[in-house]
Amino acid sequence: MRYVLLAAAVLATLAAALLLGPANVPFGDLLASPIVWQLRLPRALLAFLVGGALGVSGVGLQALVRNPLADPFLLGLSGGAGLGAVVAIAFHLPGPWALPLAAFVGAVGAMALVYRLGLMGGAELDPRILLLGGVAVGAFAAAITTALVSLAEAAELRNAFLWLWGGFSGASWTTVLVMLVYAPLPLVVLVAAARPLDLLALGEEPAQYLGADVRRLKRLVYLSASLLTAAAVAVAGVIGFVGLIVPHVCRLLWGRLHHTLFPTAFLTGGVLLAAADTLARTVVAPRELPVGIVTALVGVPLFAFLLRRWTVS
Amino acid sequence: MRRWAQRTHLAALLALAVAACARGEHVPVGGGIAVTDDVGRRVTLAAPARRIVSLLPSFTEILFAIGAGDRLVGRTTWCDYPPEALAVPSVGDGMPPSVEAVAARRPDLVVLYRSGPNVTAAEQLERLGIRTVLFDLNLLEQLGPAARRLGALTGHSRAADSLARVVDSLASLPPVPSTQSLAFLVWDNPPIVIGAGSYLDRLAALAGARNVFHDVGSPSAQVSIETIAARDPDFVAVLSDSASPEPPRYASRPEWRVVRAVRERRFVFLPGQLFGRPGPRAAEAIRDLRRRLEAAP
Repeated sequence: MRYVLLAAAVLATLAAALLLGPANVPFGDLLASPIVWQLRLPRALLAFLVGGALGVSGVGLQALVRNPLADPFLLGLSGGAGLGAVVAIAFHLPGPWALPLAAFVGAVGAMALVYRLGLMGGAELDPRILLLGGVAVGAFAAAITTALVSLAEAAELRNAFLWLWGGFSGASWTTVLVMLVYAPLPLVVLVAAARPLDLLALGEEPAQYLGADVRRLKRLVYLSASLLTAAAVAVAGVIGFVGLIVPHVCRLLWGRLHHTLFPTAFLTGGVLLAAADTLARTVVAPRELPVGIVTALVGVPLFAFLLRRWTVS
Repeated sequence: MRRWAQRTHLAALLALAVAACARGEHVPVGGGIAVTDDVGRRVTLAAPARRIVSLLPSFTEILFAIGAGDRLVGRTTWCDYPPEALAVPSVGDGMPPSVEAVAARRPDLVVLYRSGPNVTAAEQLERLGIRTVLFDLNLLEQLGPAARRLGALTGHSRAADSLARVVDSLASLPPVPSTQSLAFLVWDNPPIVIGAGSYLDRLAALAGARNVFHDVGSPSAQVSIETIAARDPDFVAVLSDSASPEPPRYASRPEWRVVRAVRERRFVFLPGQLFGRPGPRAAEAIRDLRRRLEAAP
């Protein structure tokens, strides 16, 4: 029943994203209209893919650090991405892909640094060190970003922040293709790690005794989840909240086993973000809201409702 | 008795003077100057300001236009017009102003744009005994009042009044019937456009071009590409400081080509120095925009 509802939500969300918009497209022209074909469809798909990637990444990271507050952006990624984006604009890097690529490189750089910190002194990705390292690296990157912004005399830098706050205004078939080519590998790695991740929930030592290669598992999960998030940053900026809430919603609805958690988190994240983006571009038309605001406004009450039901029962 | 009265009289005067100094105010003597700025403060000067720091390009341009350019002892890095302004020492980008750099120019008047950080900076300067004025300057109709008051503060009232009359008459003109439409695109990702309640919206109306986002109340707003496509402007206007501007990079992307004006490369490039800020050359900007629209393909 819950799976049927989820499937219906996926279809309804994508249909709404294609049908609704500030431009008036007659129903008959829906498939021929460049507005639908070049704008609404790639935008809906991109929002869905990014939402899915963030949801899955959130499940992976929360399992890895065994902390319900973990968010894909917590481990320094948003700070690194911000630094990359500001560098691209401050130093006038050429090319249409300079900004997203630089944001991606920044996010991966921050991730590599936190990863290295997590391995220091044979610590083997201790959750506490990962969280602290993530916050520290993020703060360091943010400090350099702020220094660049205050020293470089470019009014354009303000726009780097607008971009970073996230959204799908720049969605195109190219960005959809980037996600479609890039996302499957980390997704497959994570889904393959579903069973050992269930064991990890018991604690590192028990998981080890039950046959999970904890060292390898943690490294793979960390790298896959972070690379997924970095790709999401490159095509859509930093969209918070989805990666934090979606894993919790899915755990409340479908239980704690990762082989159901990963696919349901992908679809739920996709639905949440695609629906939020449709609202963002229609409710205050002709203007547009930053999508992160809508995910929070829609997601938090929903989450509170689920939490209440869960704690009551 | 008389001596006592004299002494108390003197003491009272002294007390008044001390109190006045403590408040950091100069008591206007004879033909003192007094204007009220846009935060409602009454600013008085004993004599026309001789050493002025201007912290907004528009103020710098107005001061030169009314013949008070030689009073400038400080400007921002953005103040690049008229060319003589570049000879004035810069005190930084002015966002927010470096109070120390401004004070080091030993000004007797600092002219600031009214914004949160600038109000704080003005308070700090006042505490150092430096007079400040804060003016709004976002719209065409704010040019005249700013020019008049700058004229009074510098003793160039006649030139300032005639400039103010020109811009006031521009501001009171009814919009010219529009034959063409345009959208001012400030940024592409996310797309930011100029709405009503802005200088550019007004310039476009006076140049006979309808801003397709005139219904958006705020000076600028984030919109979607789809909305721009649906509004279907004849032109996309872009501020550009380049001497030989090229179509923006996004122009060749498929998602932007849904917008007719982008697909047909109907871009109008507006020099930022003339269009990026309200200034005494508003009439020139309107003529220039008209000419560019007529010359466009």
